Amino acid sequence: MSHTIIELQHVSKRYGDTVVLKDINIEIEQGKFYTLLGPSGSGKTTILRAIAGFLEVSEGDVLFDGQRINDVPANERKVNTVFQDYALFPHMNVFENVAYGLRIQKKPKKAVAQRVESALKMVRLEGYGDREISELSGGQQQRVAIARAIVLEPAVLLLDEPLSALDAKLRKDMQYELRELQQRLGITFLFVTHDQEEALALSDEIFVMNDGEVQQSGTPVDIYDEPINHFVADFIGESNIVAGHMIADYQVEFNGKTFECADAGMRPNEPVEVVLRPEDLDITSTDAGKVQVKVDTQLFRGDYYEIVAYDRLNNEWLIHSTNPAVDGDTVGLTFDAEDIHVMRLNESEEDFDARLESYEGE
Amino acid sequence: MKKNGTSMAFYVPYGLWLALFVIAPVILIIYQSFFDINGHLTLANYQTYFSSGTYILMTFNSVWYAFLITVVTLLISYPTAYLLHYTKHKQLWLLLIILPTWINLLLKAYAFIGIFSQNGGINTFLGMLGIAPKQFLFTDFSFIFVASYIEIPFMILPIFNGIEELNESFVNASRDLGAKWWQTFTKVIWPLTISGVKSGVQAVFIPSLSLFMLTRLIGGNRVITLGTAIEEHFLVTMNWGMGSTIGVVLIVAMVIIMFLTGERKKRGRRA
Amino acid sequence: MRKFKWSNLYLILVFVILYVPIAYLILYSFSKGDAMNHYHGFTWAHYAALFADTRMIQIVIDTLLLALLSSLIATTIGTLGALAIHRTSRPFVKNTVLSLNNILMVSPDVIIGASFLIFYTALKIPLGFGSVLMSHIAFSIPIVVLMVLPKLQEMRQSMLDAARDLGSTNAQILSRVVVPFITPGILSGFFMAFTYSLDDFAVTFFVTGNGFSTLAVEIYARARQGISLEINALSGVMFVFALLLVIGYYFIQQSSQTRKAKHKAESEAKLNEATH
Repeated sequence: MSHTIIELQHVSKRYGDTVVLKDINIEIEQGKFYTLLGPSGSGKTTILRAIAGFLEVSEGDVLFDGQRINDVPANERKVNTVFQDYALFPHMNVFENVAYGLRIQKKPKKAVAQRVESALKMVRLEGYGDREISELSGGQQQRVAIARAIVLEPAVLLLDEPLSALDAKLRKDMQYELRELQQRLGITFLFVTHDQEEALALSDEIFVMNDGEVQQSGTPVDIYDEPINHFVADFIGESNIVAGHMIADYQVEFNGKTFECADAGMRPNEPVEVVLRPEDLDITSTDAGKVQVKVDTQLFRGDYYEIVAYDRLNNEWLIHSTNPAVDGDTVGLTFDAEDIHVMRLNESEEDFDARLESYEGE
Repeated sequence: MKKNGTSMAFYVPYGLWLALFVIAPVILIIYQSFFDINGHLTLANYQTYFSSGTYILMTFNSVWYAFLITVVTLLISYPTAYLLHYTKHKQLWLLLIILPTWINLLLKAYAFIGIFSQNGGINTFLGMLGIAPKQFLFTDFSFIFVASYIEIPFMILPIFNGIEELNESFVNASRDLGAKWWQTFTKVIWPLTISGVKSGVQAVFIPSLSLFMLTRLIGGNRVITLGTAIEEHFLVTMNWGMGSTIGVVLIVAMVIIMFLTGERKKRGRRA
Repeated sequence: MRKFKWSNLYLILVFVILYVPIAYLILYSFSKGDAMNHYHGFTWAHYAALFADTRMIQIVIDTLLLALLSSLIATTIGTLGALAIHRTSRPFVKNTVLSLNNILMVSPDVIIGASFLIFYTALKIPLGFGSVLMSHIAFSIPIVVLMVLPKLQEMRQSMLDAARDLGSTNAQILSRVVVPFITPGILSGFFMAFTYSLDDFAVTFFVTGNGFSTLAVEIYARARQGISLEINALSGVMFVFALLLVIGYYFIQQSSQTRKAKHKAESEAKLNEATH
């Protein structure tokens, strides 16, 4: 049983009339990699700052290890932050930056040197202690920022979009390193990003945020396969979302036809949204297809072709296919019953979980 | 780049200014310092300066007063600039700091003649508290007070700009790493705003060496500074040679100050 | 919360110290007495005396004219100088010129005054309006350069390349791209030069002859003779003038800032839409 290290209970934050956080309830367990994922302005960084102690919440409690820490100043909280712009002190070299927190704690010189050295080693920067910050590349600055935070052995490391300033290649490398670092240190990481791929790749658990609310939380696989609503389905990965009706359990109607699906527990004839991921769609002959679409344009993406097609109701369909199609051709699309994911309109996360339990448990 | 007519227009007026109003005057004042009052070429001025105790003492005094004025101004200005940074409508407050600088310095000095006089504001106030009138005008205190009063805005401005440039996330990072407010101030805020402090010190110290009008109006000739001496030699006793000599010493002092407070190239800094 | 209040108290104290002397001056400009002590009751008499004092009014006009002329000329020469420095590619030349430029910025006023006095005497230039004007231009040029140069450095090479790519000649680039871009710098340079000129006492005191006087020199002469409440009345007028300038400046600044902020917010919103 891992225990809860940080908990947010009914946390809200307002600036004047603008509400940036609405009744947030989050539990964070020890030793896992968590991600707050959402578009800019969704409130994810605000949550991070509330935990770090850089802002006061308007309502609700922030708990650390079961203790309310709303009034504990940032410098006394056992969490450390890796800032988006790194915030490395420009008047200190690498060593002094990493040693900063230890010097504040008045640790003996020898211990400081040892711990700084091992922190630098941890981020693969041994021997860089004498460098000035301005001499480092973006990726190296990133590592120093991480070393400076982990050298204090925090219970939780907060990372505020730390990879956003890096180029694509470096970013991928750093993703692997972050994941590895988290597993090696065994401390909790709370990572903020707007990049859904990054979130899916790194996290044990993701909180998807929008408009100051947590839309859905769960493992990357859960969130990808079973998005709770239109926003999550659209934000995470690429999706075809079409309107339909639930005929009965395991029977959904869309595009004028009834299909077998894996979802249940809804009212008969309830209006729903149906999600089909582009990689789950296969192109076949017009007759064999469950849906007939006309190919409009296609882009070669390296490992697949991205095809845009329209059905006779003029719904757009996105298809990922290993083989190219011919522009203007009418083709059929097939998919399995499990590939269909049905979303109710305005379903809360609790109801969603309860409904899944009710029929998946059978 | 082609050297054509238009590009000459950029260089000529500015170049002329540099030659006539920057280089020539400096050379002339050095040249003049080697002439005595009768127009003979001599080193006597320098000899007088360094051998007579009066001039050395005066120089020391002058530097000491300027130092005191700078320290007083800095002590008042840094907290002011820091607190201003966190106010709402800080641009408005800043303008209110600048506004007094648009009132002519002489008028402000003149105000203090009234405030500090035997029957002036301060003594009336002290009288109400039952304290006997005191002599304020023509004291060291009044000179330093008025000079600091005049210089405060010039110290606040560069420090304020320095604090404005400070990235707030450095302060957050320091707190995040466990530093208390005072530790954050000494280890992060102060070192990162020191360049603003330096330009403030430059902006206050150097003019403070030459406030001859204040020494005359407020210091009552009790306080003699390098500036007073130069004015005296040039405009009263007409001994331009000696005046220039003092001027040259002042220039040297200034260069030393500039060197001490100037931005030194940081090691290994890349553009 | 308590700490916040203490800090407010400190700021209020500083502002009180800054404004009490000015308020004191203006208060006594309405006093019936003839000295700055014991308020004797309200009167406009000193203002009447001020506006009847033709010599003083002439001096005020001269001072404003001097400030306007000197700052205009200094802005022109200084802007050209900044462009010249910006064009210089050799770092050694650039640094030397910048150091020379700063000499007058950091020189004590008495040194500037004394050395200019020697200079004019050596060239047999008569002391008076001309010598004062030249001096004011001279000490205002470096501040203009220092205000314009950062703007030039902010200007990106790609912008100039774009202008050239779109077919502009050198002269057109200068007039249509460079000058509009650095205009804020030029304006603040002009503004500073104007303030410097109005505020100067020491340099003027050295290089003015018997025939010409500026406000500062006149106040000094009168203040040495003792208190005259006509000077207080003058302070009142000047304070109102400065206040109007500040208010005007503040609103210009505010409106341009809110406009900028609004535009920025709008364009950011658009950017966000585009990326999601």
